[in-house]
Amino acid sequence: MDQAAILDHQFRVAAYVATWVIQLGYLAWLGLKWRSLKRAEKP
Amino acid sequence: MKKFAALLYVLLTVTLMFWGYYQAIYVAPNDAMQGEIFRIIFYHVPSFAVAFVFFATSFAGSIAFLAFRRNFPDRAQIADALALAGAEVGVVFCTVGLTTGPLWGRRAWGIWWTWDARLTTTLVLWLIYVSYLLLRRFAAGPQMQTLAAVLGIFGALDVPIVYMANRWWRTQHPAPVFGGAPGSGMDPSMVGPFLWNLLAWFAWGVMILAIRFRLERKQQRIAEKEAQAALTA
Repeated sequence: MDQAAILDHQFRVAAYVATWVIQLGYLAWLGLKWRSLKRAEKP
Repeated sequence: MKKFAALLYVLLTVTLMFWGYYQAIYVAPNDAMQGEIFRIIFYHVPSFAVAFVFFATSFAGSIAFLAFRRNFPDRAQIADALALAGAEVGVVFCTVGLTTGPLWGRRAWGIWWTWDARLTTTLVLWLIYVSYLLLRRFAAGPQMQTLAAVLGIFGALDVPIVYMANRWWRTQHPAPVFGGAPGSGMDPSMVGPFLWNLLAWFAWGVMILAIRFRLERKQQRIAEKEAQAALTA
């Protein structure tokens, strides 16, 4: 593998990882919000 | 039954995500000019497509809120929750697009960013909807929902400008791949993986939109209960 192909691979992996970090991070935030609202609902 | 359907939908979405990833990495060939970096398109373009659909959802919710707020308060609250969910999930997908784009640009163009029409209008779109979310978070009082609805409508007006930017002006951003000039388009071997990823990201988006919408409805009910309790106290 030449240097350009290695860099292409690294940048592609970085883009995919960044996508999943953002999406799963948001999903986790929704989960935390859900939990706190469930607590608030209880009398 | 409702829970079962929801679980089935989540399972289907997760399967689609794995299938989309498999298609993007193992089925689609490397681009002759760009090599592997081209594969970012399978996450980048669907993210913006989904973001645009959800900003349109927010737009529809905002209009419905303004239409219903005086005579149908219950419907107005549902519309407001939809507008908020659409804007928030749209921002998440827009953030993904604005993150993956520069990673592609650095390898393809040699620069992370340039102030061309497509990139600038997209950043403006993101900033408008971030302002919308900040307004909803920090403004208080009975006018907050109305102000947010108006901002949501203005924000959505930027979507067609973003879409048309690389058709109306010469941009550093590539010309449209789909629906562009004659000769534009994707190699047939790449279309399948692209469409699978589009479907997978759309399914994922609908899933998190549904969660966010339910959360907001729950929050509205709690706020209503608290307001009633305060009145009777």
